[in-house]
Amino acid sequence: MEGIFILLMPLFAFLVTGLLGRQLGDRASGVITVLGGAFSFVFSLYMVYRALHSPVQVKLYEFLPLEGYTLSVGFYFDALSSITAAVVTLVATLIFVYSIGYMEDEFGKWVYKFYAYLSLFLFAMLLIVLSDNLLGIFFGWEGVGLASYLLIGYYHQQRKATNAALEAFVMNRIGDWLFIFGIIATFLVFKSLDIVEIFGKVDTADKALIGIATLLLFGGAVGKSGQLPLHTWLPNAMAGPTPVSALLHAATMVAAGVYMVARLYPVFEAAPQTLKVVAVIGGLTALFAALAATSHTDMKKIIAFSTMSQLGYMFLALGVGDRGGAMFHLTTHAFFKALLFLAAGSVITAFHHKLYDIYNFGGLKKYMPVTYASFVIGAMALAGIFPLSGFWSKDRLIGSYYEASFVWGLVGTVVAFLTAYYIFREGFVVFHGEERFRGIDPHEPREVGAVMTVPMVVLGVMAVVAGFFEGWYMHAVGGEHKDIHLNVAVTSVAVGIVGILIAYLVFVRRVVSPEGMALVLSPFRVTFREQFFTEKLYHKGIAKGYMAFSKATYSVGDRLIIDGFINTTYRLFFKFAKDVWKTFDIKSIDIFIHWLALSMFRSGRALRNIQTGLLNNYVLFLLVGIIVVLGIMLYALDRLKG
Amino acid sequence: MSIEKAYILLSILVFLIGLLGVIARKNLITILVSTEIMLNGVNLTLVTVDKYLGKVDGQVFALFVLTVAAAEVAVGLGLIVSIFRLKGYEGSSEIVHLRD
Repeated sequence: MEGIFILLMPLFAFLVTGLLGRQLGDRASGVITVLGGAFSFVFSLYMVYRALHSPVQVKLYEFLPLEGYTLSVGFYFDALSSITAAVVTLVATLIFVYSIGYMEDEFGKWVYKFYAYLSLFLFAMLLIVLSDNLLGIFFGWEGVGLASYLLIGYYHQQRKATNAALEAFVMNRIGDWLFIFGIIATFLVFKSLDIVEIFGKVDTADKALIGIATLLLFGGAVGKSGQLPLHTWLPNAMAGPTPVSALLHAATMVAAGVYMVARLYPVFEAAPQTLKVVAVIGGLTALFAALAATSHTDMKKIIAFSTMSQLGYMFLALGVGDRGGAMFHLTTHAFFKALLFLAAGSVITAFHHKLYDIYNFGGLKKYMPVTYASFVIGAMALAGIFPLSGFWSKDRLIGSYYEASFVWGLVGTVVAFLTAYYIFREGFVVFHGEERFRGIDPHEPREVGAVMTVPMVVLGVMAVVAGFFEGWYMHAVGGEHKDIHLNVAVTSVAVGIVGILIAYLVFVRRVVSPEGMALVLSPFRVTFREQFFTEKLYHKGIAKGYMAFSKATYSVGDRLIIDGFINTTYRLFFKFAKDVWKTFDIKSIDIFIHWLALSMFRSGRALRNIQTGLLNNYVLFLLVGIIVVLGIMLYALDRLKG
Repeated sequence: MSIEKAYILLSILVFLIGLLGVIARKNLITILVSTEIMLNGVNLTLVTVDKYLGKVDGQVFALFVLTVAAAEVAVGLGLIVSIFRLKGYEGSSEIVHLRD
């Protein structure tokens, strides 16, 4: 039962900051949010300890009794879910601490809302991680969708932010539709939504139906994790505050897709065709996003594309069957990606949220040493340099790719090279070289406060050491431990170093002028920056096409068919009514009424003469009346007797 | 022909004479007198039938009729006199106020 507290803490923090935040103030709300995350982390550590001995399933209460099956709210703590919960809560707590410093400039502008949303985000993610049934996962799934919408659009005065929030929401909705259909399909196949029960029934279920169900479920993961072709929202979501980006990319939302596939992996394993789709989508996204990252200049967007690429790595690993490796990379990635984002956020804070383009910075190394160190550690971990955490998880994945097929291995190696290049390009441009910010912002940038540097240091330590736990992690989660393939490790570290070296030579030594290179490679650069024009294609093709289609249907269907029908009916009816009026009304009814009136008038004129006022006449009428009445009475009596 | 039939015939005759007077005559006083004649015709019938059946109810009715007729004449004469005084008529053909 203690496990419930993992979820209750952020929920409690959300309720307190959401309802009382205005009274408590922004700083207190931030502290409550941090405490919620921290307590949640402590409880999840305890649950890791418990779950390593034996998995715990907690059924809270029955939620919806159906015919033959009862939906219940429950949580399942096995090694995978509790370790993931611990990682999520740890990274989230550090980001929460950092966000107190990051948002300090805006205190007094209802920042408590921001903290309430953060807690909600964490709560929803924990619901995904810990639920023991697909319906609970779906609740969390929608919860992170809502929270991300609220947080990406937090700077609601900026049109860019609200548009990005809307885009994230809509793109996720497409994925969520697939996901809910997947849940329905899973229920039809297994007659159950409980994960543990489903795992027990995998062997006996129809393989083809499992294939359809898993494909739909994977559609949900594609939407949430920003994979091809539902990727456009992810880089645009950088319009939100940087802690949100860090949370979104490191611990919560986008990791949810990978986690869900890993969680339901026994089901996916029963559908090898789906796994191929997962591998193809993951591999393509990894390459595609890495290429896009090489030519972007927005500080945060580069890291966002990097996340897309790394998630593609994880999906590719899931596709080729290395579930443990994918989850391990998710864990290490959570640390160094959060670190990179927080470092980027520090730079942005140092310039008071004014600059975002990397070519506006430069030479920050001596002003912001801690941030510089954090960024370099994060970048080196991301590039897979020995012995940082990224090295262990990434080389394991690349090894798995080579085991599956040479093509996938090659993709992994190429992406590793690109990753090293683009992240150090960003690092060198921002922290080395001439100080280009002088022209825009004359004041000296300063290192950010301790509230922001401490989380970075902690994450930096985690990013360095997390890789050494690979054996322990695999043992706990149940994946097989793989020794590092020496040739794979050497190759990938070598390509990583080559990538860094190229970035160093171009952007620090300026052996080749970066501007000249950009000019020469301009067509590639534009293609990569526009993400192979997918976003344009969506706008021009899908959105414009849809608009054209709507206009066409409006003019044909609405104006021509429906309005035409209505107007014709109206005219016909009008003509009919006119005819009726002319023939029936005027010629029959009016004539009859007039005749009736006239005859009444005439009969009245005739009868008027009876009223003479003469006494004698009246008596005569009286007599006639009596005779008539008597006659009738006599006749009636006669009839009665007869 | 029995004596009762003769009386009934007589009473019918008297009634019809009165009726004819009411219808045909114009003088208001004469019309009033004709009404009295009609009432007497009815009285005669009442008394005759009473005698024939050996009862007294009819004779009581006849007495009532006489009394009411006396009262009616008093009122009717008053009305006629006042009409004559106000308008100067004496023939019923000139009185057409009932039309209004």
